[in-house]
Amino acid sequence: MQFENVTCPHCGILCDDLSIDVNGSVLKPVNALDKHCMKAYEDASFEESTLFTPIVDGKKTSLDDAIKKASELLNSSKQTLVSGLIADVQSCREAVALTDKLQGVIDHANGSGMIANVAVMQRHGKVKTTLAEARNRADNVIIFGSEVLNRFPRFLDRILSPKKTLGNNSTINKTITIIDSQIATSPIEFNQKNIQYLKLNALSLDSIIQNLQRVVHDNPDPSELHDDDTKALISIYQTMLSSNYTTMVWNTGLFDNDIAEQTVQALTMMIRAIMKTHRCVGLPLGGSKGEITASQVATWQTGVPLPISFSTGAPIHDPLLYNGMSMLENKEADCLVWVATYSPDDTPPKTDIPTIVIGHPKMKIDNDSAVFIPVGVPGIDTRGLACRTDSVATLPLQKIRSVDLPTAQDVLIKITGML
Amino acid sequence: MAIKLTGGEIYDPAHQIDGVKQDLYIVDGKITHVLPENEKVTQTFDLSDCIVMAGAIDLHTHIGGGKVNIARTMMLEDEHAHPDYGNDIRRSGNGHIIPSTFTAGYRYAEMGYTACFEPAVLPVNARQAHMEMADTPMVDKGGYVLLGNDDFLLNMLQDGVRQSTINDYVAWILHASQCIGIKVVNAGGIHAFKFNQRRLDVDEISPAGITPRYIINKLSRAVHELGIPHPLHVHASNLGIPGNFKSTLATMSAAEGLPIHLTHIQFHSYGAEGDYNFSSAACEIAEAINSTPNVTADVGQIMFGQTITTSGDTMMQYFGHEHASPKKWTVMDIECEAGCGVIPFKYKDKSFVNALQWAIGLEIFLQVNDPWRVFLTTDHPNGAPFTSYPHLIKLLMDRSFRNDVFSMIHVEAQKMSNLASMDREYSLYEIAVMTRAAPAKILGLTSQGHLGEGATANITIYRKQNDIEQMFAKPSMVFKNGMQIVKDGEVIKTVIGVTHVVKPDYDASIEKPLTKYFDDYQTISMPNFKISNDEMVECIGSEIEIHPCK
Repeated sequence: MQFENVTCPHCGILCDDLSIDVNGSVLKPVNALDKHCMKAYEDASFEESTLFTPIVDGKKTSLDDAIKKASELLNSSKQTLVSGLIADVQSCREAVALTDKLQGVIDHANGSGMIANVAVMQRHGKVKTTLAEARNRADNVIIFGSEVLNRFPRFLDRILSPKKTLGNNSTINKTITIIDSQIATSPIEFNQKNIQYLKLNALSLDSIIQNLQRVVHDNPDPSELHDDDTKALISIYQTMLSSNYTTMVWNTGLFDNDIAEQTVQALTMMIRAIMKTHRCVGLPLGGSKGEITASQVATWQTGVPLPISFSTGAPIHDPLLYNGMSMLENKEADCLVWVATYSPDDTPPKTDIPTIVIGHPKMKIDNDSAVFIPVGVPGIDTRGLACRTDSVATLPLQKIRSVDLPTAQDVLIKITGML
Repeated sequence: MAIKLTGGEIYDPAHQIDGVKQDLYIVDGKITHVLPENEKVTQTFDLSDCIVMAGAIDLHTHIGGGKVNIARTMMLEDEHAHPDYGNDIRRSGNGHIIPSTFTAGYRYAEMGYTACFEPAVLPVNARQAHMEMADTPMVDKGGYVLLGNDDFLLNMLQDGVRQSTINDYVAWILHASQCIGIKVVNAGGIHAFKFNQRRLDVDEISPAGITPRYIINKLSRAVHELGIPHPLHVHASNLGIPGNFKSTLATMSAAEGLPIHLTHIQFHSYGAEGDYNFSSAACEIAEAINSTPNVTADVGQIMFGQTITTSGDTMMQYFGHEHASPKKWTVMDIECEAGCGVIPFKYKDKSFVNALQWAIGLEIFLQVNDPWRVFLTTDHPNGAPFTSYPHLIKLLMDRSFRNDVFSMIHVEAQKMSNLASMDREYSLYEIAVMTRAAPAKILGLTSQGHLGEGATANITIYRKQNDIEQMFAKPSMVFKNGMQIVKDGEVIKTVIGVTHVVKPDYDASIEKPLTKYFDDYQTISMPNFKISNDEMVECIGSEIEIHPCK
C-alpha cells in the first residue's frame, strides 16, 4: 500500500512530500529522497516474522514485566537522568511528566549543542525567519559551511531553488553564497549559476563570522587595501546592502563548541545591525534528532528550556549543572531513562548505572543490565507530532504500518503510573 | 446526585439578576434552579455570605503558541523567581508574567476563570498553540486564527475576487486551524514589514497593492456573512504610536457598520498633544464606541511592573524594540502568513508615557457606557500578567483607591488625564457583565457565562470581603462542569477543559486554488496543514466543542 504526504522526521526540515510504499513490514520510499530518509526507512524495515520483545537482564520478557522492572529501578533511584528525547511530541510530554514525578533531571541527547542558541536568546533575543519565508522572500542567502547542505540535503532543492516564488526573478534565482573555512567541512560541487562557493583563509567558521561582524560594524572602504578574506567579506556585506531580504543560514553544530555562544551572538548582533536599514534574518538549521520538539515541549510544560532539574519540586534550568552527558561522566545520576524512537543508531551512552531504554525496535543494546522496551517508530508505526527546525511549524506524523508494538508515550505513562 | 448551593447572592446579568438570593443545584454538570423529582441532594454548600457568579471568561490572553514559548525562554529570570511546586494532584511549573502551561491553568482557575481564548493563532503554528492549550488544565480554551497578512488572502484581495471566495477561505482556515474566531493584526503591516516598510496607515497602499481598510472591510464582511458569532477581532494599525487614535477610528469605520471587535484598544487610543507629544484620546475612542453599536473593545490595561510583550505585529514590535527592558528582543517573519515580536517591558509609574497609558486604559473603562461592549483584559502578558485582574477590578470598583494610585503616578501625566474627575464605580453586576455574560455572548458560548437553567455548571463563589481585590483574587469555591476544582483560592482537583471551535459551511472547491498555492509556494502540503478533529483528540490532546454559526 502506498502512503502520500508522509512526513519524514529524520532531519530538522521535516519534508512532508514523501510517498512510501508499505509491503508488510518493509518500507520503501517511492519518490527521490535524501540519504537520511532512505536510511531511516530501510532501518525501520524488517521481516514479517520478526518479533520484538522487551529485554530485562539480557532475557526476553513481557511488556508488563519490563515496565514493572523499570518502575522498580526508578523507585529506588535518588537521581534519575531522563535523556535521549529523540522522539515525538507525545513521548516528550510524557518524559517530562515522568521526570517531574521523579524529581529528576531531563536533557536531550544533544543537550550541549542546544545551549548556545538558548543562551543567546536569553541574553539578546533573535531575528529569525522560517522555511517558506526564506523560499519566497529571500533574494540573498549566505550559508556558513557547506556541511550545512550535507546535513540538510533537501534544503537546497526545496527552499533555495524554488521553481516559483511569491516574489520576482530575484527570489527565484537567489544569490547564494556558501562560505567555508580552510578546514572545509564538506566541499560540494555546485552547478547552479547563482551559487558562489567561497573558501576563505580563516581556520574556522567561527572566525569568519566574527570577521564578518567586524566588517558590518566598521563598514570599511572597499577601495582601501585589505587581505583576501576581508575583501570577500566586504563584498558579501555590500551584497546584503543591495538586497531586499538577506537570509543567513547556519547549523550551530558546525561551530567550535567552546565558543559557539559567541559565534551565535555575533550572528545575532550582525543581523540586527543590518536590520536598522535593510531586511536581514537568521535561519539556523538543526533539530535532526528531535531537539526542537523536545525543547518546545519542555519549555511550555515547565516554563524553562532544557536541561531541567525538578529536584526542588519546581523546574530549574541550568545548562552547566544539569548537562546530561556531563552528569553521566561525573557519576551524578544513578539511573538513566533513554528515549530514542527514530533510529536504531541512537543507542544510549555507555554507562554502568541501571538504564531503561525505550527505543527503536531494531536498536541493539550493549548492556546486559539494561531494561529495553522496543516501541513503535513515530511516523511509521504510530501517529505523532514533530516540530520543525524553525520552531514554528509542527507537522503530523502518520501511522503507515501496523505492527504489534506499544507507543513510547504509553510505556512512559505506564511507568509513571507505577511510581 | 445533586449539589445544592444555598443562600448565595447571585449576579447573573444574562438573566438580569443583580444580587438576588437564590438557590442553585448542580446535576450532571449542569445548573438547575429546581431540584428534579428523582434527584437527591448529596452535598449542600451554605453560601449565605457569598457572591455567586458564572465562571469568568478571558477573551484575549496569550497562553499558547510559539511566541509564548519564545517569551518563556527569554524571561528565565521571571520563571525562576516564581517556582510553582507540584504535588500529588498538580504538575510543577514556573513563571508569573509568562507562566508555564500547567501553572497558567492553575492560576486562572484559582481566580475563578473557567475559559480562556488565545487571540493570535498563526495557521502554521496552530498545532503548537493547541498543544500548549491542551497542556493548560482547568479551563476551556479557544483560539482566533490570524489572517490579514497572509499572502494567499492578500493575493486574492489584490485580484479582486468575489466576497464569497473570501468567505470560503475564511471558513476553510477556521476548519483547518480548529479555531473559534478570526483575528487581524496590523492588517497588511506585518506583510509590508517583510518588504522593509516600517509603517502602514489604514488608508495607505501596502506592498500587496491594497489598503488595511480594504482587508478589514472584506474580512469583517466574511465573518458576518458566515455567521461566525465572534466579530472580526482586530489589532489595529499603528499600535503605540502617538496620534494613533485616528487610525483606530478609521479601522472602526472600515467595518462599515458590521460587527468589529477592537482589541487592547488602550494601545490604540493615543493623541499627540502636549509637551511630550503624547496625550490621551480615550475620550474620542470611548465616544466612538458609545455612538457605534457595531463596535466592541477590550481594553488591554497596563499595570506598573515587569512584563513581556508578545505580538504578531512585527512592524510595531520592531519599532518598539529600543524600549525593551531588559534589553533583549525577538522578531520573526513567519511562513508568508504572519510574524511575531517578543519584547520585555517594564512599565513605570514615574514614566510619563507609562503613567498616561495606565490612565488612558482606566479612562476608557470609565467612559464606555455599556459594559456589554467593553471587556476586562490586560492583553496578558502585554499590558500586565492576567493575575493582575483582581487589582484592576478594584481600580474600577473603588474610586478612592483609584485616585490614591493616580496621585502617585508621574505628575505631568496626572495633568494630562481627567481620571480623577471620573465618579463612576463599576458595580458587581457590571463586573459580571464584562467578565462573564458579555464574553460568552460575543463568543457564541450559549451555555457559559451565565447561571440559567441548563447552563454548564461553571460557577465561581466569592466570600464577601471589604477588600474587593482580595475577594476576586481568591474565590472561596470554583466549580468546573459541576466539579469543585478550587477551595479557598487553591486548586483541589485537576480537570481538563475542551477547545471551543466553529465550523462554518463553505464551498470545498476553495481547496483547488489552495492546493496550487501550497504546492507552488509553501513548505508543507495542504493535507498536512489541516488539523482534523481526530488529530485534536488523539495527538494534540483536547476534545473539541463545536458551536453553531448564526
